[in-house]
Amino acid sequence: MPSTQTPPIAGSAIDPTALRPPIDDAVIERVAPAELHARLAALRDEGYTMLLDLGAVDYLERTPRFDVVYHLLKLPARAAGVEAIGRPSRVRILCGVPAEHPHVASAMDLWRSADWAEREVFDLFGIVFDGHADLRRIQMPYDWEGHPLRKDYPLRGPARERAPRPAFALKSNVQAGTPPSGRTLEALQAEVKRVREESGQ
Amino acid sequence: MSMSTTPLTPEIVSHEGNAMVLSMGPQHPSTHGVLQIMLEIEGETVLKAEPEIGYLHTGIEKTAENLFWSQAQTVIERMDYLAPSSNAFCYVLAVERLLGLTDRIPERAQHIRVLNAELTRIASHCVWLGTHGIDLGAISVFFYCFDLRENILDLQEAAGGARMHPNYLRVGGVNGDLPDGYLAKLDALIAKFPARMRELRGLLQANPIFQDRTIDVGYLSIDDALAWNVTGPSLRGSGVAYDVRKAFPYSGYDRYDFDVPTRSEGDAYARFLVRLDEMEESMRIVEQARRRLDVPGPVMIDDTKVAAPPKETIALSMEALIHHFKIVSEGFRVPPGDVYQAVESPRGELAYYVVSTGENRPYRVRTRPPSMYNLQALKGIAPGNLIADLVVMIGSLDPVFGEVDR
Repeated sequence: MPSTQTPPIAGSAIDPTALRPPIDDAVIERVAPAELHARLAALRDEGYTMLLDLGAVDYLERTPRFDVVYHLLKLPARAAGVEAIGRPSRVRILCGVPAEHPHVASAMDLWRSADWAEREVFDLFGIVFDGHADLRRIQMPYDWEGHPLRKDYPLRGPARERAPRPAFALKSNVQAGTPPSGRTLEALQAEVKRVREESGQ
Repeated sequence: MSMSTTPLTPEIVSHEGNAMVLSMGPQHPSTHGVLQIMLEIEGETVLKAEPEIGYLHTGIEKTAENLFWSQAQTVIERMDYLAPSSNAFCYVLAVERLLGLTDRIPERAQHIRVLNAELTRIASHCVWLGTHGIDLGAISVFFYCFDLRENILDLQEAAGGARMHPNYLRVGGVNGDLPDGYLAKLDALIAKFPARMRELRGLLQANPIFQDRTIDVGYLSIDDALAWNVTGPSLRGSGVAYDVRKAFPYSGYDRYDFDVPTRSEGDAYARFLVRLDEMEESMRIVEQARRRLDVPGPVMIDDTKVAAPPKETIALSMEALIHHFKIVSEGFRVPPGDVYQAVESPRGELAYYVVSTGENRPYRVRTRPPSMYNLQALKGIAPGNLIADLVVMIGSLDPVFGEVDR
């Protein structure tokens, strides 16, 4: 892995999810990877019909390193009226995934919408969803190396990181003594002087 | 009829029995962005459709992790580029929750935010309606829609300084009060809107060609809509009245009087009608917000740890100078924690799962992109339809690829 351009942010060893009581509408549960699928299945049967979102967070220095985050939504009734629908509720499932064995069970058999979400987490974090029918990269090109949203992945990408700074990044090519034509500042000034003299100015 | 279970290979054309694999896109005028669909077809009937996304991936979530809390808002606004204010709205609400400022946002700022969000919804639906019409050969609708949208963009420019990405919202309020003449322009828009809506409806709603192309096309049942995680107008077109503004009210939406339009048919025409009705409901909210804006008041929170003090005070007060310098040079810090904040964007439930470790930059900003989940449903609704109807289905799901790919 190439060196990181931005150093890991201080405090990434702490777990912000455990530091204070929840401040949003969701009920929060932390589940071990081994029990994850059974818990998700139980919640779905309880009425959490929608897998609202599936994402991940990389806590670089924490053990376990990754959190896979599920947000589920329960609609009391599937009705065409706001009052008839009742009060929907959300639940957030956090599942810690170790860096040395980043595997969790796929939720694709429970909610079809998990398909692209799991592919995206695999693509950007390198977490493998066992049981996913078609786990390929989704955002990055198929032949890409590395997982960009990991905290130890350089911000500008490994290829840009190794490449030398282009000459045009300097403020002024002429002042830096390396104009694109290869002529130096002195040569340019001499040429201007010569042209002026020839035209009699 | 052969249905392969392996992924369709990204080759231009291949044959397998009578079925043919065809690549539609990524450069296709009706895909509303850069979308490739690998189609398995037999004759003109779609057997399998596999959208390939990621052509517009710009790493916005990664970039946001390396910017100050307030700077990150500028890149986040560029996800859904047809409704930038919705993104900013959701993000500032999330950060305010982490900061514990939710209850201290001035009333007037909340009204302006609601006004902005609803105007953005109308403008976004104008683009959807215009392009949906063009997809089906109805070109004139586009000009009427863009005229209406232009009026809204004028208002955004007046308030925020830019047409497309005004970056008008701030953590703690909005960036400056509405300028002189804004409300007069808004009143003119409110007066013009009903007649313009009647024209738009008149052009398409009862048009037999349009009805022929959309009725019973792209049918999405309630079960499928929920399983595919479809939200917003596309879900309400299948008959579920789930709207974040009603289910989890934010920024005072519970004090506005509006309805959530739904249809039970679940086809492209139902989604079309839901969005048209939604534009009118949004205008109802705009009118209510407009009345509340007659009352003057502050538009930014009075907390110098988050909001820079007024520029005039820095010549007079040492503290003001220090706060100003700190906010500009290193931003503000946000207490550690995680929050899931959702808003109803023009496309559905837009949410940010924001994690803070107490630094002056977000540790993680995970987006719940409504466009991505809505587009994914194309895999479920496309099979069995004709290729020509694919553009109707894409249009009726209204994806924005800045948000799908981020």
